[in-house]
Amino acid sequence: MSLHATPHPKDTVKWTTVGGVRVPVHLLIPNLPDPFMDIEDYEPDADLMVLNMGPQHPSTHGVLRVKLVLDGEVCVKVTPYLGYLHRGVEKLCEKLSYVQITPIVDKNDYVSPMMNELAINMAFEKLIGAEVPRRARYIRTICAEIQRLGSHLLWLGTFGLDMGGAIGGGGSIFMHTFRERELLLDLFEDLTGCRFHYNTHTVGGNRHDIPAGWAAKATQVLAVISKRCIEYEDFVRGNKVFQARTVGVGIIDPVLAIDLGISGPVLRASGVDVDLRRDQPYAAYDEIAVNVATDPGGDCFSRYVVRVDEMRESIRIATELLAGVPEGPICSLKPVKLPGAVKAKHGQGVYSSIESPRGELGTFVVGNTVRRQSAIPYRCKIRSPSMHLLQLLPYICPGNNISDIIVTLGSLDPIMGEVDR
Amino acid sequence: MSWLATFDNLGVNLRNLFRPMNTEPLPWDAVRPRAERYRASFALVHNEHGEEACIGCKMCEKICPSGIITVVPGGRQESPATGKKRGTCKDFILDLNACIICELCVQVCPEDAILMLRVQEPPAYQREDLVLTMEKLYENEKLDALSWGTGTKLIEMQAPAPPPPKPAPKPAPETKDGDA
Repeated sequence: MSLHATPHPKDTVKWTTVGGVRVPVHLLIPNLPDPFMDIEDYEPDADLMVLNMGPQHPSTHGVLRVKLVLDGEVCVKVTPYLGYLHRGVEKLCEKLSYVQITPIVDKNDYVSPMMNELAINMAFEKLIGAEVPRRARYIRTICAEIQRLGSHLLWLGTFGLDMGGAIGGGGSIFMHTFRERELLLDLFEDLTGCRFHYNTHTVGGNRHDIPAGWAAKATQVLAVISKRCIEYEDFVRGNKVFQARTVGVGIIDPVLAIDLGISGPVLRASGVDVDLRRDQPYAAYDEIAVNVATDPGGDCFSRYVVRVDEMRESIRIATELLAGVPEGPICSLKPVKLPGAVKAKHGQGVYSSIESPRGELGTFVVGNTVRRQSAIPYRCKIRSPSMHLLQLLPYICPGNNISDIIVTLGSLDPIMGEVDR
Repeated sequence: MSWLATFDNLGVNLRNLFRPMNTEPLPWDAVRPRAERYRASFALVHNEHGEEACIGCKMCEKICPSGIITVVPGGRQESPATGKKRGTCKDFILDLNACIICELCVQVCPEDAILMLRVQEPPAYQREDLVLTMEKLYENEKLDALSWGTGTKLIEMQAPAPPPPKPAPKPAPETKDGDA
C-alpha cells in the first residue's frame, strides 16, 4: 500500500515537442505575467501597497531584496534586486594566478564549495590542456556527489523553515537534515581538513588523497543517510500540510524556463530531461550510469520530488564509485610551488560546465599570452545557475499570496553568494 | 488514505525520540576531537638542529592569495649547529584577520617551517590580537597540536606519476650525398 500518493501521476501526462524539447502540455502557460508591467496600468481603483521583502529576511537565503506590489494579500508585481553580496570575485580572478583562484571561488556558492572548485579547475585544465589522472577523477566525482547530497539536505531543511514550520512542527525537518549533513561535513573534514572552503582541487588533479579508512567510513555514512531518506519521505511527502502548501504553487513553464537559461533540478521538475552528468560527462561520470530524476508537475512539490530522487541517486553513485577507486597518482602536474606554476599557452577562451546542485555551473576563461602575465587569466566569467533562477520570480509569483512567494523562492534554492559573486 | 500519512509522521518522531543526542550541552565535558588534517591556525617550528627553520625565502608570501604574510629576510648567516651558511628570517607576520586557510603556504615551504595548527586562536577583542607575530608563531609550536600536513608530505601526496622512460634515441637519418 502506498501511503505516498503522488499528486502528479506520470502516466496520464500528455507530452508535446516545442523547439525540439519534449515538454508536458499542461505546463504551457499561454498568458505569462509581464514583469515590466507599469502598476498604473493595473486596476486604477485598486489599493496597492509596495512591500520590500529583504534584504535582511531569513527566507531570502541571504541578502536578496524582493520588491512586491500587493493588492490585499495577492501579489501583483515582483521585482528582485540583486547585488547586496557582490564581492568582485571575477575581477579578483584577473589579479590572481590560476593556482591561487581555487580558494577564492570556494566562497561563491557557499553551500557547495566542492562544485565551484571543480567547475573552475575543469576550465583551467581545458585551457592549458592538462589531463586529470583517473584516481583524481574518481575522488572529484565522489566529492561532488557527497556535496550535492549535503546541499540538497540543507535545502530540504530550510524549505521546511520557509513554509513556517509546516512540516513536523517548528524546525523538525531542519534539525533532522542538519544532523545528517553534519556527518557529510565530518567526511570532508577527514579528507581535506576543512568543513567548508576546502581548496582540495588544483589544476591537473587533487591536493588531498583519500586517507586510510575513509572509503569505509564514507560508505557507512551514505548507508545511514540512505535510510534516513526514507524517513524524510515518511515525514514530508504524504504530509497533508506539506501538500497543501506546495502542490500547484509556483508552476514553471518549461519553455519559459529554457528561455531564461534555467537548468538543474528546477528545469527537471518541469519535465525537461536534461542533466549535464549524463549529456556531457565530465570527471568520472562517463564510467557510471546516471539516472536522471524528472517530474512533470512543475510546481514546488515536483521540485521536492526531484531533489529527493537526486539525493538517492547521489548516494548510489558515490557508493558505487567508492567501491572501485583506482590506484595511481592524484595530480598530473607538478605540485604547486610558485604562483606562476601553471601558464596558459594561448589567448583563446574556453567554456566548461558542470551540473551543480542548482544547475549548470559554467566557467568561461580567456588565457593571457602577454609576457609575465601568462599565469593570470585575462577574463574569468562564472555562469552561476542561481542568477538565472531569480529571473523566474517576476513570471511565476504574480497572482500568488505572500506566503506562497516565500515557498516558491525557497523551492528554487538560490544562493546569493553565487548570484552576485 | 492520505490521513494515514499522519502515522508515518508520528512514527518518524517516535523513532527519533530514542536516538542518541547529537548535540552536546554547553558546559562541554569533552572537547570534540579534531580530524588529523584539521587546519585552523599557524605555527612556525624549529628544525632538527634546534634552530628556527624559516630561511626567509618569501615563497609563502608570494603564493598567499590574500597577501597576508610578510617576511623580512635576515640575510645568510653561519649556522652554529652545522657550520654551514643558511638564510634566516628577521620578522614574520601573518594576519589571521584575512586568512582563508587555504594551506598553500604550508605546501610551498621548502623547509617545512610553517605548519597548520589543529586548535583555533582564542577569540580576540581587538583586530591586532589576531595578527600573528613571529614570537606568537613560535609559541604556537609548543601547543602540541600541529596538523598532519607539512610541505614535504603534501608535495609527496600530489606527486605526479614518473614520466615514462624515454624511447631509445632514433638512429640519425642518413644524409644523402647529393643534398649536401
